[in-house]
Amino acid sequence: MRVTKYVITSPESEILPSDIAMHIYGSKRDVHVKETCFGVIINGEKDEIDDLVREIRAMDPNGIFIKDRGFPPGDPRRCRGHRGGGPRPGFFMLECESKMLPMISRALEAESRNAPLPEAAPEKTPVSMERLVEIIKDEFA
Amino acid sequence: MIRIAQLSCGAEYSGIQRELERAAEIVGAKMISPEVSLEDVMEVEKRFGVSVPSGDLNLIMARATRLVQNPDLADAVFVATCFRCAEGAIIRGEVRRYIHEHSRLPVLSYSFTERTTAETLLTRMEALVTTARMRGLLARERQTGLTAGIDSGSTTTKAVIMRDNQIIGTGWVPTTEVIKSAEEAFQQALQESGVKREEIQGIGVTGYGRFLVGKHFDARLIQEEITVNSKGAVFLANAQKGPATVIDIGGMDNKAISVQDGVPGSFTMGGICAGASGRFLELTARRLGVNITDLGKLALRGSYKSVPMNSYCIVFGTQSLVNSLSKGARPEDVAMAACHSVAEQVFEQQLQEVEVKQPVIMVGGTSLIEGLPRAMEDLLGIKVIVPNHAQYIGAVGAALLVSGMLEV
Amino acid sequence: MVKVIVYPPTSTILADLVDRMGHTPLVMANEIRKKIDTPSLESPPLNITPEDPKKGLKYAAVDVPSGVRGRMSLIGPMIDEAEAAIIVEDNNCLVGCTGCARTNELTRLLIKIKGIPFIELKYPRDDGEARRFVHEIRMFLEGLK
Repeated sequence: MRVTKYVITSPESEILPSDIAMHIYGSKRDVHVKETCFGVIINGEKDEIDDLVREIRAMDPNGIFIKDRGFPPGDPRRCRGHRGGGPRPGFFMLECESKMLPMISRALEAESRNAPLPEAAPEKTPVSMERLVEIIKDEFA
Repeated sequence: MIRIAQLSCGAEYSGIQRELERAAEIVGAKMISPEVSLEDVMEVEKRFGVSVPSGDLNLIMARATRLVQNPDLADAVFVATCFRCAEGAIIRGEVRRYIHEHSRLPVLSYSFTERTTAETLLTRMEALVTTARMRGLLARERQTGLTAGIDSGSTTTKAVIMRDNQIIGTGWVPTTEVIKSAEEAFQQALQESGVKREEIQGIGVTGYGRFLVGKHFDARLIQEEITVNSKGAVFLANAQKGPATVIDIGGMDNKAISVQDGVPGSFTMGGICAGASGRFLELTARRLGVNITDLGKLALRGSYKSVPMNSYCIVFGTQSLVNSLSKGARPEDVAMAACHSVAEQVFEQQLQEVEVKQPVIMVGGTSLIEGLPRAMEDLLGIKVIVPNHAQYIGAVGAALLVSGMLEV
Repeated sequence: MVKVIVYPPTSTILADLVDRMGHTPLVMANEIRKKIDTPSLESPPLNITPEDPKKGLKYAAVDVPSGVRGRMSLIGPMIDEAEAAIIVEDNNCLVGCTGCARTNELTRLLIKIKGIPFIELKYPRDDGEARRFVHEIRMFLEGLK
């Protein structure tokens, strides 16, 4: 069975999408690779892709993120060139989560060192009615 | 190629995306998606005025904002959300209003189910594309030369002959066989006008039998009812400049069209509920033992308030009427209750979807049943115009528009 | 190895964390792949046909919009298959497969009432929150048999 995966590099990773592509070309695997602004899309037989995912993760264990993709790269059913323009729906989620990846990378790194957990910020609670009355009196004093 | 910007939520997941695209293709258009950024979607509240929990609806609003900023991106807009989604219905209405107010792009608003097919969308898409493509022709205000219009409706077939902006002959027959009825109506109109068939310079056809009839008569113009009826209505009501609202309660479907300078802006086409059609009034007339032409006058003497109607349905609604009669209700009250029921259904289900701007013009055969425009006036709280020849609206619009094509 | 459904089912971060910790993430992409690889269907882009919202009737009544039922025909089988779940809220970027809030509410509900282990978190906004986020997910996933 052929599968497709997104390989996304954290914006702060030292690994570039082109490095990943070069690695795949160098591995001489029968895998289809497409570079994108977030990373690369890889498409191939499941076993081959699973092996490749392990190798790619090893390039930057905390800075590379991988997920499945339904459509193979450039599928005309999804490609904006064939589908009247506009971004593909999955693109926004990718963009949104991509912004969080540096935080997640740093957290994974700290987690791998078993670094102590930071204190959780105290939950904010609504101001008491008495205090609110004081504030209002002050404001209109 | 006409580009229709698709602003929709749920179409792909309802399994009807292909149907939308097929309908567009049949009428010579292509669905497109305006380009927007994540920021546009995230800031939709700031730019559009509201955001909602459903991201696809926010995406619709972001795309609408983009279209208003760059109206050149598309020629027309199709706004659609799932039937029975309140969130979708609110945003769909607002997006339609927003585009209508801030651009000249024609907008079609639609709510779909998984049963929506290309065929059900065809007339609407055709109207959308015509409005985008033929603005010049639609701006035409006078009929010139000697032309004919035939409106092949589901219940009746109408024909008119026009010469130099005047109606000189009319024909009206119940629709039995589409072509035979069209021939009969046309013959009646020819006879009344004293004109020979071969003298007619151009024929325009509309109505649900338009393709068959158009082929038979080798018509110059074969056009759906939305555009043609808008034109016919503003012509007959002498409201060609400025806004107008056209309401056409027909035999198979109802149209509510918001018109600006004779061009449809946004419109809705009601489904095929017989309870909201002239058929319901026909049944009521038969039950009351009066001619359909007398039902309206009878209704004007009655009040709907004393007849409880528990359903808009043609079956259950008629049952309510019969029950009331057996309990001693006056026939005039029953007649008005039937008119009110039809008007209320159109008011609740269609007029909420278009801008109701004055003048409100009621057309089609049902507009001659006086109780119906009266009931609509009560519901809208404004005067409703029923122009002369209101039952020939489609035929007049077709004769008028085809005369414009003769000069091209 | 446990099958873990993630919410949002389109999340890269969650799918990746589940995968890197040795479990199987149940994600939307795999359902879409099954659809688009069905050769006999020709209903682009997703090969969802009017039959699919009818399949969604298993999860929502007929008076629920077709778009919800169509999406549930994809997400529902994933919930049926799930042995554990990670639910993360506070994301305003959900479009497409997760673009309908009603579907998303139903998804979270069905996961929670299924009786499988789940955790609920919010998307992190700073490093401290991210650290706790990753830690809690790790602890949860490590605790799954």
